[in-house]
Amino acid sequence: MAVEEAVAAALPDTGRRGRAPDGAGERRWLLWPPLAFFALLLGVPLAALLRQALSGEGNAFAESVRMSVFVDAVGRTLLLAAVATAATVLIGTCYALAVAIGPAWLKALLMGGLLISLWTSIMVRTIGWMLLELPTGALYWLLEKAHLRTEPIDIYQTTGALYPAMIAVMLPFAVLPILAAILGLDREQLNAATVFGAGPVLTFGAVVLPAIRQAMISAGVLVFVMSLGFYVTPLLLGGPSNMTVSGIINGQLNNANRADVGAAMSLLLVGGTVAIYLVADRLFKVSERWG
Amino acid sequence: MVDSPLRRGIGWWRLPVLGVALLTSLLFYVPFLVVVATSWTETSFIIFPPQGFSPTWYSDVLQDPQWTDAFKVSLRVSAAGTVISVVLGTLGALALTRLRSRTARRWIRTLFIVPMAIPPVAYAVGLYSVNLEVAALGDNLALLILGEALLAMPYVFVMVSSGLSQADPALRPAASTLGASWPLIVWRIDLPMIAGHMLAGAVFAFAVIFDEVVLSVFLAPVGVKTLPLQMLDASQEALSPQLTAASTLVSMLAVLLLGAFSLYSNRRAARARRRARKATTA
Repeated sequence: MAVEEAVAAALPDTGRRGRAPDGAGERRWLLWPPLAFFALLLGVPLAALLRQALSGEGNAFAESVRMSVFVDAVGRTLLLAAVATAATVLIGTCYALAVAIGPAWLKALLMGGLLISLWTSIMVRTIGWMLLELPTGALYWLLEKAHLRTEPIDIYQTTGALYPAMIAVMLPFAVLPILAAILGLDREQLNAATVFGAGPVLTFGAVVLPAIRQAMISAGVLVFVMSLGFYVTPLLLGGPSNMTVSGIINGQLNNANRADVGAAMSLLLVGGTVAIYLVADRLFKVSERWG
Repeated sequence: MVDSPLRRGIGWWRLPVLGVALLTSLLFYVPFLVVVATSWTETSFIIFPPQGFSPTWYSDVLQDPQWTDAFKVSLRVSAAGTVISVVLGTLGALALTRLRSRTARRWIRTLFIVPMAIPPVAYAVGLYSVNLEVAALGDNLALLILGEALLAMPYVFVMVSSGLSQADPALRPAASTLGASWPLIVWRIDLPMIAGHMLAGAVFAFAVIFDEVVLSVFLAPVGVKTLPLQMLDASQEALSPQLTAASTLVSMLAVLLLGAFSLYSNRRAARARRRARKATTA
C-alpha cells in the first residue's frame, strides 16, 4: 500500500510537469459537478430547514429540547441503536465465521439468507415481521402447533418485537465487510498458531480478531448511524409507544402541525448523526475502508 | 481459501458459531416465507396459515392500477435517479484519484459517504420545505429523483473507487507522457477499467432507490405513489392479500434479475482470471 501510494504520488509529477494546466482542467470537470450537486442538494435543504425552524414565534430549538416526548425519543433511539449495533456486530461476526468454516450445505444456506435479505426490499421484510408478530400471526401458530402456548402472544408493537427485525435488516451491512476480512486472513499465521499449540481462544484473540477488528468497527459505525435514522421498521413494529426521533418528527409535521419544531428536530437529528459519523470517521478511518 | 486452517484454529468453538449462524439465518428466511405463503390464500384478508391455494391475488394485483401505476412510478424514479448517481458518483471517484493533497482526498471521501449517515426523515423534511418555498419546482417527481440520487451516490462511489484502486497506477502517467489529454485518458484508460464496477454500482443504486420509502412519503406528488409507499399505506389499512401478493411478485423479480446479474458478473470475473493466468503462463 505504502509503495503504491508513493508511486502514485511520484509518477504524475514527473509525467505532468510540462502540462500543468491539464491538472486544473481535469479537476474542474471531474470534481466540480458532483460538488455542485452536493452543495445544492445538501446545502439548500439544510438552509430551508433552518429557515423553517426560525420561522415560528418562539425558539423552536429550545422548545424541542424541553419537550419530554422528544427527549425520551432521543434516549430511546440511542439505546435502540446501541443495542442493535452491538448485537448486529456480534451475530454478524459469528455469521461470517460460519460462512467461512461451515460445511458446503450450511454455506449455501447462509449465503442464500443473506442474499434474500439484500435483494428484497426493506418494506417486504418489515411486512414479513409484522405478519409474524401479530397477536394471532405466524409465530403464534407455530407455538400453538408445538403446544407451547394457547393464548395469543402480545409482542407486536413492543421493543422486543423491534430488535429481531432491526438486527435482520442491518445484518448484511455487518456480515459482508467482516466476511471479506475473514476471507483475507493469512493462512500461514493460522497454521503457525495451530502448530505452536494455541487453543481456539488464543487463536481467535491473537490471529483472527486483530485482522477483522477494523472491519467490525466500520460495520458497527455504519449500522449505528443508520439505526439512528430508522423509520419504517419502528413505525410498523414498534408502535406509538416506541417512537424513534424520526417518528416524533413526522408527528410534529403531520399531527401537531408544528413545522418549525419539526424542522428544528430534523436539524438536531441530522447534526447529531453526522457529528457522530464524522468523529467515528476521524477515530476509526471508516470512509477510507469504504471508499 | 482460509477455511481449513481457520476451522482447525477455531477448534471446538465451531459448534456454537455454526449454531448461532444457523439460528440467525432463520431471521432472514422465516419472515420472507410468511409473506410468500400468505399471498396464495383464498380468503379476502391475510391469514397464516393460508387457506387454500390460488393465484387469485396475483392476477388481482396485476390488474389493479393502484399497484401497477405505483410499480411504473418506481421504475421511472429509480431509472432517473440511478443515471444521476452513477454519473456523479463516477466523476467523484475519478476526481479522487487525481487529487494530490492527502487532506483534500480525505474530506472528499468523507463527503461522498456522508449521505449514508443522513437520517432519511430529516432529509425528506428538508427537501419538502424546499419544495414549499420554491414554487417553480412544482408538484412533480423532480425533487424526489434528485434526493434519491443523493442517497444512492455513496454506493456507486464506493464501488467505482474500489475498482479504481485495483488499477495499475502507472497507466495514467504513461498515457499522459505519451501526450494523451485528460478526457482521452478518462475515456480510453479509466472507463474501460471501471465499466464493470460502474454497472455493479448502477444495479445497487437502482435497488436502493427502488426500495427507499421515506423520501416518497414526503415528496411524492398528490395522488402519485411509489411501490414502497403503496406497500406502506396498504400495510396500515386492512391487511388485504394484495399486499403480500405484490411483495412476493416484486421480490421474485428482484431475486431473478439480481441473481442473473451476479451470475453473469461472476462468470466474467472468472473468465478474466483465466485469461490473466493464461497470459502469465504463455
